[in-house]
Amino acid sequence: MPRKQRSLCLILTGVLTLAADAVAGQEPGAGQESAETAVVARPVREAPGEFQFVRLAYSANSYGRGGWGQRRQMWQTDWPDAEHHFSRGVDRLTRIDVAEAGRILTPLDDEIYDYPWIYAVEVGYWYLNDQEAARIREYLLRGGFLMVDDFHGTWEWSLFVASMEKVFPDRPIVEIPEGDEAFHVHYDLDQRVQIPSRMFIYSGVTWEKDGYTPHWRGIYDDDGRLMVAINFNMDIGDAWEHADWPDYPENMTALAYRFGINYVIYAMTH
Amino acid sequence: MFEALFKYSRADYARSDLVFSGDLPAWTLYLLAVVAVIAIGTLLYYRRATAKWYQLAVIGSLQLGMVALVIWVLLQPGLATEQLRDGENSIALVLDNSSSMSYGTPDSRFRSAAQSLSGALQDGELPGVAVRYYELGAAAVRVDNFLASAPTEGATAIADGLLEILEDSRFSPLAAIVLSSDGADTSGGLTADELAELAAYGIPVHTIGVGRTQIPEDIELSDVTIPDTAPPGSTLPARVTVLHDAPGTTAIKIYDDDELLQLVPLELAANAGSTTAWIDVELGTAGPHQLQFSIEGVTGETELRNNSRSALVNVGNQDNRVLYFEGEPRWEYKFMRRAVDDDEDLRISTLLRVSPNKFYRQGISSPEQLEAGFPTSRDELFAYDALILGSVEAAMLTDEQQSIIRDFVSERGGSLLMLAGPSGLGNGGWGQSLIADVLPARLPPTATDTFHRKKAGVSLTPQGQSVQMLRFDSDDDANSRAWAELPEVADYQVIGELKPAAIALLNAETDIGQIPLLISQPYGRGNAYILATGGTWRWQMSLPLEDQKHETFWRQLLRALVTTAPENVSLTSKGDKRNGTIQLRAEFRDDAFRPVDDIGVTAVASHEGGESFSVSLAPGKEPGVFVGEFAPGLAGTWYFEALAERNGEAVGVSRSSILYESGQSEFFGFRKNAGLLQRLSAATGGRYFEPGDLSGLADLLRYSSPGITETELRAIWDAPIVFLLLLLLKGSEWLFRRRWSSI
Repeated sequence: MPRKQRSLCLILTGVLTLAADAVAGQEPGAGQESAETAVVARPVREAPGEFQFVRLAYSANSYGRGGWGQRRQMWQTDWPDAEHHFSRGVDRLTRIDVAEAGRILTPLDDEIYDYPWIYAVEVGYWYLNDQEAARIREYLLRGGFLMVDDFHGTWEWSLFVASMEKVFPDRPIVEIPEGDEAFHVHYDLDQRVQIPSRMFIYSGVTWEKDGYTPHWRGIYDDDGRLMVAINFNMDIGDAWEHADWPDYPENMTALAYRFGINYVIYAMTH
Repeated sequence: MFEALFKYSRADYARSDLVFSGDLPAWTLYLLAVVAVIAIGTLLYYRRATAKWYQLAVIGSLQLGMVALVIWVLLQPGLATEQLRDGENSIALVLDNSSSMSYGTPDSRFRSAAQSLSGALQDGELPGVAVRYYELGAAAVRVDNFLASAPTEGATAIADGLLEILEDSRFSPLAAIVLSSDGADTSGGLTADELAELAAYGIPVHTIGVGRTQIPEDIELSDVTIPDTAPPGSTLPARVTVLHDAPGTTAIKIYDDDELLQLVPLELAANAGSTTAWIDVELGTAGPHQLQFSIEGVTGETELRNNSRSALVNVGNQDNRVLYFEGEPRWEYKFMRRAVDDDEDLRISTLLRVSPNKFYRQGISSPEQLEAGFPTSRDELFAYDALILGSVEAAMLTDEQQSIIRDFVSERGGSLLMLAGPSGLGNGGWGQSLIADVLPARLPPTATDTFHRKKAGVSLTPQGQSVQMLRFDSDDDANSRAWAELPEVADYQVIGELKPAAIALLNAETDIGQIPLLISQPYGRGNAYILATGGTWRWQMSLPLEDQKHETFWRQLLRALVTTAPENVSLTSKGDKRNGTIQLRAEFRDDAFRPVDDIGVTAVASHEGGESFSVSLAPGKEPGVFVGEFAPGLAGTWYFEALAERNGEAVGVSRSSILYESGQSEFFGFRKNAGLLQRLSAATGGRYFEPGDLSGLADLLRYSSPGITETELRAIWDAPIVFLLLLLLKGSEWLFRRRWSSI
C-alpha cells in the first residue's frame, strides 16, 4: 500500500475507533459524577508489594466533567492498562517489590498516606477544593510524591496551575534541571523528546493544542527534594497504556518507562 | 533476771563450755544415786497401803529431784570461758573523721562517735588489753588518742581503711576492731570482694552507726546523668534525681557557666524517698560546657553543699559514619534517610541495589567511595561506625566479606543493624551465614517466608522503657503513651528465638500475636541489633507533619549505634576519689583496628587555670593500651592530650577532658548508712550497735576469740537458782505431806 494511502487508512481507523468508544460509553445525563463512584477498581492483590501504582481520582473542573457520550472521567484516562503495563515494567526492570494491580484513591482517602507515590493524569481538567488541596499539601510535605502527566497547551496549563497553587501558593513551579537526580537515579535521561499520545500514529504530530514543546517541571521542598514531577506537553500515560500496541513507537514506550521508573526510584530514595 | 538466778549472763553461758570440777570419784556419785533410789522406793512401797498411787508418785518425784540436785552440787559444775590474756592483746578503735561526720546539732556525729567509742570500753579502758586508735577517712591513720581529732577528711574509704589496719596488725595480736562511723562511704560502698577479703582476716569488726538514716530538713541533688559528648546544637536529656525524706517543693536550675539555661519547678512527693526529673538541655556552640545543676534548699536546711553538682559536656563536631547496604528500593530506606538528613554528625553512605545489575550510591563523600561495591577489606569497612543491612540476601556477600562484618562488630566495636524485608533476615539466609553468631536471634531458615506485609502495632518492653534511644518524652508515663499512640508499622518479620544475651526493646502486636520487634545483644566489642520491620515509615506518613516521632526514633537509634563504636585512637580519663588521682587510658589501633604497640606515648595535662604537666603513660596489660596516673591537686576542668610517636614521628593523637571535683563527695549521700555497717559486721563476725545501746560490746571485746586467750573457770554450783530449787522441792514435799497426812 502506498504510504499516503496507508496514512489515510490509519487516520480513518482511528476516528472510527474513537467514535465507537464514544457510542459504547454513552450515558445521557452523566455530568459531574463523583470520583469515588465512577469506577470499580480491579481487585487489589492480596499481598501488596512495597510499591503499588496509585491513581489520583480527582474532581473535575467545569471543562472536564464529561458530557454526552463520555463515560469516563478525565482522571481515568489510560486506566487500567497504563498502570498494569507500567507496574509489570517496574517489576521486571528493577528490584522493587511491586504489587500487580494499581489502586485508585481520592485526595481525601485516608489510605493515601499508605502510598507515598501517586499518579494524576489529564490534570488540565482537575479541580482541587481547599480541603483536597490541603490534603495533597500535607501528603507531599510528609514525604509523598506526585507525578502528573498528559496535559497540553497554555489553557490546560493555566487550569492545572489554578489548583496546584492552592496546594502550594508559595512554592514555584520550575524546570527540573538537567543534572537533577530524578533524571539519573537509575537511567540517565538526557534525551528531551516529546512523548506523544496514540494520536501521533494517526496524525503524525507529537503535540496537542499549542503544547509544541515538552517540559519536565517540578515543585521542590525546602530541602531541594522533588515532590511533584510535572510532565507537561507529553503523554507518558499513553505510552505505558499502548506498550503492547505494535503501531505505537517502541522507543517512546521505552522512554516513558524510563521516566516513570526514575520517578519511582527517586521517590523511594529522596 | 537471768544473771540474778544463774550468776552469769546468757552471753557468758553462750560463749563458755560447761565443765565439772568436783573431787569425788564418779563411782561414788553413781552409788549414791542407786542407794537413794532404792531407799526412796522402799519407803514408798511400805506406804502403799495408806496412800494413793499418785500421791506416792508425786512424793517420789520430789525426793528424786532433791537427790539429783544434791548430785549436781557435788559435781561442782562451772563455766570454762576463753578470754583475752592480760597484756598480750590489742583492739583497734576506729573513728570516722570524714567531713560528713561534722553534720548534726547540737552534737555532731563526730562527737557522738567519739563518745560511743569511749563508752564501748567503759571510759576508754579495757583491763589488760592494749587499745590502738585510728582515724578513718580516705585512709586509716594511727593516732595516740582522739583528743586532737576533727572531721576534716574529704573522703571515706571504709574497706581500704580497715584493710590497712588489719595489715598493720599482722604481727601484733589484734582481737577486734570497733568502728564508729556514719557509714557514708564515698568510695562506692563495700563490694562482695572487699567484704570477703576483710572476713578472711578472721577479726570481728564491731560497728557503731552514728547519725540519722532520714534527715527531713535536708534535700540532696543525688544524681545528674547527661551525655558527656554531643554535637553542636544538640538537645541533651539530663536525668536529675533529688533525694528527700519529706514532701515539699524545690526548683532545679541549670547553668552553662554563668548563663541560666533552665529553671524547672519540682514537686517532692511524700514517702517517695527520691524524685527524678528529665530535663532537656540545649547546648549551642562547640567546646567544653561546664554545666552547674542546683536545687533550691528547703526550710531549715543547713547542709547546702549537696544541693549542686557539676557536669562537663564536650560539644563538638563528630564524624559518625554509617554504611547502609540495601537490596531493593523501598520506603523505609527513603524515610530513614530523610529522618536523619538534618543531623550533621551522622553521615549515611548507602549502596542500594536498584536493579539486578545496578547499584545506586547515595551519601558518598567521594566518587571512589563504594565504587567497587560492598567493602572487601577491613580498612574499608572499619572506617564506618555502624553497618545497616537491609532487605538483601546473604549470598550477595562473599564469605570474606561476611567475616569482615563479624570482625567489624567483635573487634572494631562497630554496631550492626539488620532490617526486615522480603530478602532480609531469615528470608535472606542470614541465619546460615558467617554472621549468624553475631545476631541476637536464631533466624529461621530460608525455606520459611517470615516476612509479612501486614500492619502491626508497636509496644515498649520493660527493658525498652529504660533505654534512652527509645524516649519520645522525658516522663515515663508520657513516653509509654507516645509509643502506644504510634500508628502501626507497615510490615513485620518473624525472627525466631532470642539468644540468651539478647534483650527485646520493642514488641510488635501482630495478627499472629506478640513478637519481638527491636532486639539487641552485645557481641565482642560491639553490638548487634535487629529491627524486624521495614515499615516504620508509616509513622512519618500517618502522623501530622509537625510530629517528629519518626525522625526522633531514627536519630536516636542511629546515634546509639554510632556512639558506642570506639575510635581507633582514644583517650579516656577517670577520676579516682579514693586516692585523689585521675587515671588515664590511651588506646591506639591502626585503620584496621589492630593494636599498635611499637610506639611511645606521652600525655600532657592542662588545667583550666593554665597550669600544665607532663604525664608518662606506660604499656598496659592489653595490647595497644597505655595507662598512667595523675594527681591533679587542683579542682576544676582538666584537659588531656595523648601523643603517640614512632621513631620521632607523630602517628596519632587523642584528647580528653574531665571535671575533677575534690572533697565534694562527702556532702552527698551523707545519711547514715546503717545497712553498710551491718553488712560489714555480719561478714566479719562482729555486731552492729546503736550509739545509745552499747551493752554487751565490752564483753564481746573481752572474750574476743581471735586474740591470744586463756581459760577462766567460774563455778555455777552456787548459783542462786540451785538453792531456790532446793527450797522449792523440800517445801513442796512438806506441803503435800501435810495436806495428805496419810503419807
